[in-house]
Amino acid sequence: MTRKKKKQGQSEYFFDYSLLFIVLFLLGFGLVMLYSTSSYEAAQKYGSSTYYLEKQIKATILGLIGMIAIANIPYHFWEKFYALGYAVSALLLLLIIPFGHESGGAKRWFRIGGLSIQPSEIAKICMILFLAVMICKMGKSIRTWKGFIALVLMPVPIVLMVWKITSNLSTAIIIMGIAVLMVFVASPDYKKFIVMGLGGVAAVALVVFYIVNAASADSLDYRGNRVLAWLNPEAYVSDTGYQTLQALYAIGSGGVWGKGLGQSMQKLGFIPEAQNDMIFSIICEELGLFGAIAIILMFIMLIWRLMVIANNAPDLFGALLVVGVMGHMAIQVILNIAVVTNTIPNTGISLPFISYGGTAVLFQLAEIGLVLNVAKRIQLKEG
Amino acid sequence: MQNNKKRPAEDTKGQKTAKKFTIFMQKKLLVLFGLVLLAFVGLSVRLMWINNEKGEKYSKQVLEQQAYDSITLPFRRGDIVDCNGTSLAVSEKVYNLVIDSYQILDKESYLEPTLQALGDCFPQLDMAAIREYITTHPESRYYVPLKKLTYAEISAFVERQNDTGEDENGELKPGNYIKGIWFEEEYRRTYPNGSLACDVIGFTTSDGMGMYGLEEYYDDILRGTTGREFGYLNDDSNLERTTKPAVDGYTLVSTLDVNIQSIVERYIKEFSDEYANNYTEGPAANNVGCIIMEVDTGNILAMASYPVYDLNSPYDLSAYYTEEEIAAMKENDTYYSTLNELWRNFCISDTYEPGSTFKPFTVAMGLETGVLTGNETYECDGGLVVVEGESPIRCHNRWGDGTVSVKHAIASSCNVALMKMSFAIGTDTFLEYQKNFNFGLKTNIDLAGESRTAELVHNADTMRRVELATGSFGQGFNVSMIQMITGYSALINGGYYYEPHMVQQIQTTNGAVVENIEPRVLKQVISESTSAQIREYCIAVCDPNYTGNTGKTARPAGYMIGGKTGTAQTLPRGNGEYVVSFIGFAPADDPQIAIYVVIDRPNMEDQTSGTRCATGIARNVLTEVLPYMGIYMTEELSEAEREELEAKKLEETIKYAPTVSGGDAGGEDTPSDNGNGTNGNRPVWMDFEKDPVTGYLIDPETGAFLDPETGDAIEGDYPAIIE
Repeated sequence: MTRKKKKQGQSEYFFDYSLLFIVLFLLGFGLVMLYSTSSYEAAQKYGSSTYYLEKQIKATILGLIGMIAIANIPYHFWEKFYALGYAVSALLLLLIIPFGHESGGAKRWFRIGGLSIQPSEIAKICMILFLAVMICKMGKSIRTWKGFIALVLMPVPIVLMVWKITSNLSTAIIIMGIAVLMVFVASPDYKKFIVMGLGGVAAVALVVFYIVNAASADSLDYRGNRVLAWLNPEAYVSDTGYQTLQALYAIGSGGVWGKGLGQSMQKLGFIPEAQNDMIFSIICEELGLFGAIAIILMFIMLIWRLMVIANNAPDLFGALLVVGVMGHMAIQVILNIAVVTNTIPNTGISLPFISYGGTAVLFQLAEIGLVLNVAKRIQLKEG
Repeated sequence: MQNNKKRPAEDTKGQKTAKKFTIFMQKKLLVLFGLVLLAFVGLSVRLMWINNEKGEKYSKQVLEQQAYDSITLPFRRGDIVDCNGTSLAVSEKVYNLVIDSYQILDKESYLEPTLQALGDCFPQLDMAAIREYITTHPESRYYVPLKKLTYAEISAFVERQNDTGEDENGELKPGNYIKGIWFEEEYRRTYPNGSLACDVIGFTTSDGMGMYGLEEYYDDILRGTTGREFGYLNDDSNLERTTKPAVDGYTLVSTLDVNIQSIVERYIKEFSDEYANNYTEGPAANNVGCIIMEVDTGNILAMASYPVYDLNSPYDLSAYYTEEEIAAMKENDTYYSTLNELWRNFCISDTYEPGSTFKPFTVAMGLETGVLTGNETYECDGGLVVVEGESPIRCHNRWGDGTVSVKHAIASSCNVALMKMSFAIGTDTFLEYQKNFNFGLKTNIDLAGESRTAELVHNADTMRRVELATGSFGQGFNVSMIQMITGYSALINGGYYYEPHMVQQIQTTNGAVVENIEPRVLKQVISESTSAQIREYCIAVCDPNYTGNTGKTARPAGYMIGGKTGTAQTLPRGNGEYVVSFIGFAPADDPQIAIYVVIDRPNMEDQTSGTRCATGIARNVLTEVLPYMGIYMTEELSEAEREELEAKKLEETIKYAPTVSGGDAGGEDTPSDNGNGTNGNRPVWMDFEKDPVTGYLIDPETGAFLDPETGDAIEGDYPAIIE
C-alpha cells in the first residue's frame, strides 16, 4: 500500500502494490477454490485429494518467481524480440502437428518432462508484444485505412493456426480480441470499430440463424451442436448441454450466500472437471451471488488498475503492453463467466488466476510481471 | 487503496506531455473500461436472474440428482437341510464380472495389462470381443461379460489385481496397472444332491422366486430382505451415506432323511429302468410314487416320485426327450405343460382311485361303530348283485373266496365281503368316517401344490347303494397319496390323526432356532382297540405263514410288517389300466413308519401283476430302511434270505439280524398249507389243476393262470366291476 521511495534528488518511482495484492488475492482465492472443487475428483481418480492443488501450487510458485524476475527487467528489453516472438509462436504451433500431445480429443499440448505446455498461451503474450511494437512503429499511419487493415490482419495467421491446428476456437477468439482491443485503443477512430462491431454481430446472428434452421443436429459439427445446446440446454442434457446445464444448476442452487465453502454438491462428479473452465459455477454454488460478485469486483479492480497503469505509462510501448494485458484479462474473464452462465455457447475458456492450468497461470503471471515493470517506470514527481 | 487510486491519476495530469500515450488513447481506454464494466454488470445481472428465476428449480434438480445414488445389497436365501443337517438346497455367493471401459482407458498403460490378466484368469472369455467392446465403448462403465462366477474362479484374478506395491527393483508391480475391473456380488441357488427329492424341495427361478415344493411353500421364510446402500441429504444438505444391510433368509430343517430318501429313489429308479419300454414304448409307468412317514409324528421321512429332474437345471428335458422332440414341443406349445408335468409332485398333486388299500378303512369304520365285531364271516362266490336286475359286482377272484372272516377279507382282499360290510355300516357312517380321515379335504401338508379333492369324493347326495358298495373297496372316489398314508398312519398308530409335515424347524443363518414345528395331532379318528384289530388284519396280509393273503412279497427278510395291497381300476372301466399300490407299516409289533408305494399304470401287458412290483419296491426299501433306523429283526432268516442280504452287501442290515439263526423257518415263497384257521371253507379254485411249467393253477373255463396263493388271475380278461 505504499510507494517505493527513493532518496532525495532522485525521482520517485512507483511500484503498484495494489495490483500485486489484487493478483495475490486472486491466486490465493483461486487455490482455495481449486482445492475445494477438485479434491473429490482428485481423490476418486488419483487417490490423493491434493493432486490438482499440488500441481497448481508448483505452477503458481514458478509463475511468481517468473513474475518477480520479469518485473525487474526493463520492459524495453523485450522490444527487440517482437518478430522473434511472433515467429516462435508460429513455429511452436506448427510443431504441434508432429509432436503434440493429445488429451481429451484435442492436440494442444507439448509434454516436456512431465510438464505440459500450451503453445497458444505463449502465442497470446507474444501477440501482445508484437502488436505493441507494431503500433509504435506505425505511428500516425494507423489512422489510415491501409494501416488499420494491416494491423488487424497481422495476428490473423497466428489466430488461424491456433484455430485450425489446435482446434481451439476460444483461444483464437481471445488472441483476435486482444489485437482488436489494442488497435481500438491506439486508433483515434470510432466509426471503423462500430462498423466492425455491427458486422461481427450480424455475422454471429447469421451463423446462429443457419444452425438453428439446419436440417438436423447430425449434419452439424460439434460447434453447431454447442450452439443448439446453448439456445436450449435442457434438450441436449445427455451430451453437449450437460456441462452447461449442470453449471446452471450449480449457480441456481447457490442462492445469495451460497452453501458454504466446500459444500458444493455439483462438484461430486456432476460437473466434469469443474476445476477447469467451470470453476466459477462452483464459486457461485459455494459462496453464492455474494461471492460471485465479490470476485467480479476483484477482476474489475484488476482491470481498473491495469487501465490506470496504461494511462500513466512512461511511453506508448509500455502503455500498449499494459492495454494488451488488460484486454486479455477482460476478454477472458468476461467470456468465462458468459460461458458458465450460458450467455454464450459453451467453449473452453479458463478464468484467469483461478482455473486449474499450469501454463495459463505461468504466462498470466508473466504478463503481470511485465505490467509491474511498466508501472515501476512511472515517475512520481514531488507535488 | 483510496490513496493509491488517486495518486496515479494526479500523476497523469503532470506528465501528460511527456507521453506518447495520447489523451485520445486514454479516452478510448476509458471507453474500453466502460464497455468492460458494462459487460460485468450485464453478467452480474444474468447471475442474479438465474438465481431469482431458476434458483428453486435448479436447487431441486441438484438434490434430485443426488438421490439416485443407491445400491441394492442382495440377501442370502435360507438353506434347506434334512433332519441330519445334510444340505438339500444352499445359496452360495457368486460374482459377476464388471468391466468399466472408462477407467481402463483412463491411462494407456492400463489397457494391455488388464486385458492380459483377464485373458489369463478367465479362459472362457473371448478376448477379441472384449477388446473390441472396450475400444468401441470408451464411456461404458458397466459391462458384464461373465455372470455367476464362484470365488474359486475369480480368486486368481483378484490375487493379481491386489498385487500392488513395488517389487525389489522399485518397479510398480503389474497389479497397479489392472484397472476398471470389479466384481458384483450375487447369490446362486444350488442343490448339491441334484435330482434327489426334487419334487419335495422345488427350485428357484433366476430372479429368486421359489417354485414348487418347500421352495414355494416357505418362500417368505427362505427369502430375506434386500439391503440398500444409499446416499441421502441431511438437514444441512450434506450428502451422507447409509447402509441398511440385507437380512438373510431363514434355514429350513426338513423332516426328510437323505439316506432314506435316496434308498427310496434308488428302488423307484430300479423299477423305472427295468420296466421302461417293457410292454409298449415309453416309461415304466405313468407315475411312480413312494412316501415314508413316521406314524407317531406325521413327519415325512421320504417322498419321491418318478420321473425326476435335476433341480440345478429344472428346464432341462434332455433326460427324457430328444432335441427334436423338445423343439417340436416348443412349437406346439406343449413345452411348458410338459415341464409342469415333470415338476409337479405326484405324491400330493395327483389323485386316483385307491382301490383295495382302502379296505382297512372300511373295516375300521365297522369296528369303531360296533357294527362289526371282527367275528363275522361272509360268503363270497365271486360277485355280488348290489342292485336288483343289474349284473353283479365282481370280486378280484371270479370263482369266489368261499367263506371268509373279516380278517381273511382283508388278507385276501375280498370285495364281496367288504361290500357286505359296507351295507351294514351304511352311507352316513361311511361318509362321516371318510371325512374324519380327511378324504376330500386337504391334509395341509407344508408343500406347495396339494390337490383339492372335495369334488372327487361322494357326499350324501351322490352316494347311493352302488357307490357305497364300490367305495368299500376303494373305487369310485379319488384320493391323493398323502391323504392315504396320513389316514393309514392314524389307522394303525392308535387312531391319532397327525397333520403331515415336511419341516420340523426354522433356524437363522447362525443356527439359532426361530421356530420348532412340533407334531400336531388333529384328532383321534378311531380307538386304540380298533387300531389294534386293524393292525392284526394288516399283519395277516403280509404274514408269510398265512395262506391266501396278498402281501407276502412286501415283507422284508427278518421283519414282520403289516400292510395292504391295492389294484385299482381306472376310468373308463375295462380299459385294462390299473393303479397298483401297497400301503404298509413296520415293524409289526411296534409300528414306527408307514410306507406307501403307488405305481400308476405300470407298463405291462397285464397291469394287475404290477402289484408285485409295488410290494417289491416296499420290500426292498424296508430291507434297507428298517436296519438304518436301528430297528432289530424279529424273524429268523432263511438260508435264501441270508444269502440275499449278503448278496446285497448290506453289512449294516446283517447286524440287525437275530443272533440265533435257527433252522429254516420256511421261505416266503413256500406257501404253508396249515393256514391259521380263520378261513373255514376251502375256496373252489384251490383245487384247480396246477400248470406243471409255471406252477400256477389253471382256470378250467378260460385256461387262464391263477395265482396259487390268492386265486387271482395272472393274465387274461377282467370283467368290469361296474360301468
